[in-house]
Amino acid sequence: MKPTPIAEAVQSLAPWQQYICNACGYIYNEADGDPDGGLPPGTRFADIPDDWACPLCGVTKADFAPYMPPDLAALQAQAACAPTLTTRQAPGVVIVGAGRAGWQLAETLRALDAALPITMVTACAGDVYDKPLLSVAVARQLDADKLVRETGAAAAQRLNVRLLAHTHAIRICADTQQLRTTRGVLPYQHLVLAHGAQPALPSSLPAALCWRVNHLGAYLQLRAALGDTPKDVLIVGAGLVGSELANDLALGGHRITLLDTQPEPLARWHDAQAGTQVLQAWHDLPIRFVGGVRVAQLSRLDGRYYLTTECGQNFLADQVIAATGLQTPNRLAQSAGLAWRNGIEVEPATLRTSDPHIHALGDCITVDGQASRYIEPIARQARTIAADICGCTPAPYEARPATVRVKTTSLPLTLH
Amino acid sequence: MNAADLPRDVTHLPPLSGDALLTAVRAVAQGPLQQQVEAIDRQGHYPAAVLRQLAALGAMSAHLDTPAGPGSYALAIQAMAEVSRVCGATGFMMWCQAVCGLYLQQSGNPALMGEVLADHIMGVSLGGTALSNPMKSYAQIESLLLKATPVEGGYRINGTLPWVSNLGPDHYCGAIAAVVDEAQQPLGREVMFLLRCDAPGVELRECPSFSAMEGTGTYAIRVKDLFIGADDLIADPAKPTIARIRAAFVMLQCGMAVGITQGAIDSMWAVEPQLGHVNQFLEDRPATLQAELDALTARVMKMAETPFDGSTEFFIDVLDARAHGAELCLRAAQSALMHQGARGYLMSSDVQRRVRESHFVAIVTPAIKHLRKEMARLSAEELPA
Repeated sequence: MKPTPIAEAVQSLAPWQQYICNACGYIYNEADGDPDGGLPPGTRFADIPDDWACPLCGVTKADFAPYMPPDLAALQAQAACAPTLTTRQAPGVVIVGAGRAGWQLAETLRALDAALPITMVTACAGDVYDKPLLSVAVARQLDADKLVRETGAAAAQRLNVRLLAHTHAIRICADTQQLRTTRGVLPYQHLVLAHGAQPALPSSLPAALCWRVNHLGAYLQLRAALGDTPKDVLIVGAGLVGSELANDLALGGHRITLLDTQPEPLARWHDAQAGTQVLQAWHDLPIRFVGGVRVAQLSRLDGRYYLTTECGQNFLADQVIAATGLQTPNRLAQSAGLAWRNGIEVEPATLRTSDPHIHALGDCITVDGQASRYIEPIARQARTIAADICGCTPAPYEARPATVRVKTTSLPLTLH
Repeated sequence: MNAADLPRDVTHLPPLSGDALLTAVRAVAQGPLQQQVEAIDRQGHYPAAVLRQLAALGAMSAHLDTPAGPGSYALAIQAMAEVSRVCGATGFMMWCQAVCGLYLQQSGNPALMGEVLADHIMGVSLGGTALSNPMKSYAQIESLLLKATPVEGGYRINGTLPWVSNLGPDHYCGAIAAVVDEAQQPLGREVMFLLRCDAPGVELRECPSFSAMEGTGTYAIRVKDLFIGADDLIADPAKPTIARIRAAFVMLQCGMAVGITQGAIDSMWAVEPQLGHVNQFLEDRPATLQAELDALTARVMKMAETPFDGSTEFFIDVLDARAHGAELCLRAAQSALMHQGARGYLMSSDVQRRVRESHFVAIVTPAIKHLRKEMARLSAEELPA
């Protein structure tokens, strides 16, 4: 029956409808029609001839169904209830740093769980060595081969660890539990920061003009720069590291000038008269201590280095070493919004940071605002974290005052 | 509307406010641009009118300072994202035009900062950037292809650059050449200048077909004894200017990644009513990707407050955000294709086009691998030589 003119007029006022092809998803919009297929704009679905073909896949109108554009909010609400898997494989533990703390933790974790996936990310080669030996390497005639106990690659193979050497950790995406690195993105179940501390240089000491002895790579470069003949070496900072290096390089025949803002070396242990003792020990060594001075400027002059103090003293040297203390780099902690108190703040019971999926140990952490940058606590810290990650009996970490042995070989000191 | 056809006083209306600008950009993107997307992608149609329209709105100059106040990098990136959501190629050309404007404004050269910059801002004239090669050169990835020999009153330029975009016979681009003596020996510095496509000695050569980006006005530029005088100098030496603008240069590209990713997420939701029952078995679902995109966008908006922060740490952050954008863009475009299935695989589908656009975001300078290499270089400890 032919519709009445009134019925036609009413129909033409109805809003345009859309229909979706069940085969290919093509959407037929009555407003647009399908001019290429002979349907002018405004052709109602009901008026499409039965032999019309879907312009994309060729099925007929019988395979079309009414289509309502999706309501985004409703879809999002629905999707929020659905289960989702965010990663394809067990992400396991990712450790940032392959110094003593990183390797100690890898060893401890592996001893507790043979199958746990462990990935280590390190900016260096990841070779295993004892950092305290860098302070006595000249006297004990330790070269690179003797300092490296095990290459990073060998240690990684022994412990079944994936080692990403020469890789920089750039950012933590805490919400998605991913570590962004210069070799790609690593998902983690547990992230452990063991990246240590880095030398804190005063602005008067440009990084390109002075050595810092905080890891094996830089130390070996310094040794290469010193060469085999006696040199004039300026060491800025007469704390533990500066004093030990002065002692060791002097035993190697180099002429040392040791500067400090304090009037004596090892001034932190003034009450134990450490400074007096160490100066006595150096009596027969080519070490000249100049206390109570601050560096004003360091520059290069005809292939040598020229240092001026604020009080106007001048020093000329073949190499300059800065031993001016350590600070914790904050890039990763800041990117994850971790609590910070002179370093990455951890909770002693578990060594978790303020993010429950992120632990930290070694030189980068503080407990109650105190760092303890020595070797002794590391093994205990590793046990605390491994127990927490592996779900074993909790092994809370106890921060204790450190006993320090000063490796000034002629007269070793033990300080508390 | 074509800004070039309007009287000058009409084009010099005060700039639109942030929300009004984005609304107007969205209208252009989803209107006239949407109509041309397939022609841009398949036939290599160069959408000059749309670009001029977007420029006249202020979409490619929102980041530039005006007498009325400082520019907004956030707004420029958002505008680029709105366009890239519809057409990645046009979003890329917006970036070309935007950084070229940055070069002109940063030049400090009165001959480039007056009418040249005003015409550029309004889209009366269009331009691009030939800094892909120099950026790779500064990152120690390749060496400079253009050479500049000092001559009376300026430089004589020679060399060939592959693949410079947003060009046409009457367009121009910012370029950098290594300064060499008559014996072609490097003199240890570079010069940055405005290379005009219609200048004597400049020849544009068609490139082979690209996977995407066919409509981006991309040519090889062959330069033979081109004279550059003081009026066309952007920076001499170039390095201090590059150091100043490098973070802004890279940061602006985030607009492309954000927009293409959003377009991909849009197309996942579009099929959810029909295909949600099977799509639930895919990883990288739209809500997950949206959360990651929102976090990245917030991070980029924060950086956009300090585009000229010269610190190494800030630049590493910008490089990483750009890398994250490229990685997310790849995943989102790929996942959108998985979500749409066969319908997304049709050559007429924006879903497969976006897969190719996402590949471009990942490989255009700085590519993901360049970004990582540069972050590694900048993260390395500096020691005495």
